Amino acid sequence: MSSATANGRHQLAMVFDLNKCLGCHSCTVACKTQWTSAPGMESQWWNVVNTMPGRGTPRDVFSHGGGYDAAGEPIPGVLPSSSEFGQAWAFEQTSVFSSGSGVRKPMHPLENDGTSPSWGPNWDEDLGGGEYPHSYFFYLQQVCANCNKPACLEACPRTAIYKREEDGIVLIDEDRCHGYRFCAEACPYKRVYFNEQRYVAQKCISCFPRLEAGVAPACIRQCPGRIRHIDYLDNEEGHVHKLVNVWKVALPLRPDLGVEPNVFYVPPLLPPPFAENGEFDESRSRAPAEYLQELFGPGADEALATIQQEREKVAAGGESELMDLLISRDWNDLLGPFTENPAELERPPRR
Amino acid sequence: MSTQTAMTIRAGAGAAALSDPLAAGWDALPASTLPLEPTPLDAQPSAYVRRSWEDRSHGAARQVSVSAATVGERLLVRLRWETAAPVRAPADINQYPDACAVLFPLDGTKAEIDTMGSEEQPVCGWHWRAGSAEAFAVTAQGLGTVERLKGHDLEATGEWSGGAWHVTLAGPLGGSTPPISREAALPIGVAVWTGAGDERAGLKAHTPTWHSLSIGAEE
Repeated sequence: MSSATANGRHQLAMVFDLNKCLGCHSCTVACKTQWTSAPGMESQWWNVVNTMPGRGTPRDVFSHGGGYDAAGEPIPGVLPSSSEFGQAWAFEQTSVFSSGSGVRKPMHPLENDGTSPSWGPNWDEDLGGGEYPHSYFFYLQQVCANCNKPACLEACPRTAIYKREEDGIVLIDEDRCHGYRFCAEACPYKRVYFNEQRYVAQKCISCFPRLEAGVAPACIRQCPGRIRHIDYLDNEEGHVHKLVNVWKVALPLRPDLGVEPNVFYVPPLLPPPFAENGEFDESRSRAPAEYLQELFGPGADEALATIQQEREKVAAGGESELMDLLISRDWNDLLGPFTENPAELERPPRR
Repeated sequence: MSTQTAMTIRAGAGAAALSDPLAAGWDALPASTLPLEPTPLDAQPSAYVRRSWEDRSHGAARQVSVSAATVGERLLVRLRWETAAPVRAPADINQYPDACAVLFPLDGTKAEIDTMGSEEQPVCGWHWRAGSAEAFAVTAQGLGTVERLKGHDLEATGEWSGGAWHVTLAGPLGGSTPPISREAALPIGVAVWTGAGDERAGLKAHTPTWHSLSIGAEE
C-alpha cells in the first residue's frame, strides 16, 4: 500500500468502465439482496443502472437541484416523489393464476394507490439516443460516490452524516437521523432514500462491513462484465489511481455539480455514425461530444482519444498498460486490497 | 435574548378524560393564547437549509392556545392551533407531518429559547408528530443537538377538528426532564411545525420567549 493522501487520509474510490457494462443489473440485484430487503426498504435501490441518454433514476435525475454552484454555495434541491424514484410495485397476480374466469389479463404492476406506474428504476431501458441508423446508448451505473464535498453531509442540521477518517466513506448515523431529508434534497445524484417505516434516511454504504473484512462490495464482486475497479485513490500502484490520475481516462460524473465524487467513469467509446455510402464515418462521433462533456466534464474528449489511441496500438500488435488495466485478465486485479473471497471467510454465528 | 413573559398558564385539576385533546373538560380550563414567530433562518445550523429557505417562508402558525391540567401526578398540556390543511400522515416521501412540542429549561431559567439552550443551560421537550403513535422526550444543548430520550414516561395524542389541531402532551410531575413541581412556576415554550409548508427540524413557528406555567397545590 502506498502512502496516504495529502490530508493524511485514504479515500476509497471506484472506476466504472462504461465500455464493458452489459446492462445485466447483477450489481443492482446483488446490492438489493445484500442490503435493502428489510421492511421499509422495498423501493430502495442503492445501486442503479440506467440507459443513457435517458432520464435516469429518479426521473430526470439531474433536474432536482442539489450540489454546489461555481461559487461553492449550496444549490437548493427538491426531493422527488416515490413515484419518480419508482415504488415497490405490487403485481396483480391473482387474475393470472387463479381468476378462473377464462379472461386473460397480463400481470400488471401497481403502485401503492392501485394505479399503474409511470416511472421506475431504469424505466427507459435501451431507448438511448440518436436517429437510426446512428442510434446509440450506454449504461450508467450509480452508487453513493463518497464525495469529497458531500452535499448530504453539509445539509444535515443534526450532523447525522459523517465521512470516515480512514477511507472517506460517507455514512448516515441512523441513531442520530430524525428523517428531515435535507440530505436527500441536497445530493445532486439523488442517491439518498427515505425509509418511511423507520423514519430515517438510508443510502449505499459502500459495503463497508465487507471492506473491513477485505471483501470487495457486492456490486463489484457480482459484476460479470468486470467493469468495476476499487482501490484507495492514493495507491499509486492501483488501477484506480492509474486510470484516474495517470491515464486520466476515468472521469467524475457531472463535475459541475461541485461535490467532487469518488466514483469515476471511463466514458463510452461508441462506434462512429454511418456515412452516406454505408461505411463508418470515422471523423464523427455517434454520441454528441457535447453530451459526453456534459456528463463527464471537459476531459471527456481527451479521455476518449487516449482510449482510441491505446486500442489502435494493441490492434497493431503493440502493448498498452491502459488496455491491460481496463481488460484486467485476472479479475482480482480489479479489487485493489479487497480480494478476500467471502465464501472462505469464517462467519459469525447466525442470529 | 429571550426573556420570560408575565403571561402565566395556570394548570387546573382535571379528570383522566383530558388525555383526549377534544374532551369537553378542556373548555372549562383557562387557556392562554401565545403568539408564535418563525425561527430565525440565519441561526439554522446548515448552510444548505439557510440557502434553500431564503426565498421561502416558514413558521406558518401564528398563535397557539395553551391549557394545562394535572391528573394525579401527571401534567397534561394541551395545544390548539389552527391549520386549514392538516398533514395527518404524509402520503409520500416528500411530504412532512404537522408536529408540535413544548420546551422547558432543564436547569434554571437562563437557557436561551432561540438557540434551544446551550451546553451550560440545556433544555428538554415533549414532542408530538402527526402519524406517529410514539411521543418523543428530547433534550438539547443548542441548535442541531436534539437527543431523544429512551425509557421516558410521556404520552401524546393529537386530533384535528374544526380547522385546528388539538394535541395533549402528558408527562410525570416530579420528574427531572423537565423538573416539574407544584411549588415553582416552570418556564415553558411552544413550537409548531406546519407540514404543508415542508417545515421540519429548526424550520418552525415558536414562542420567541419563555412563558410561565404554574401548577399549584393539588385540589
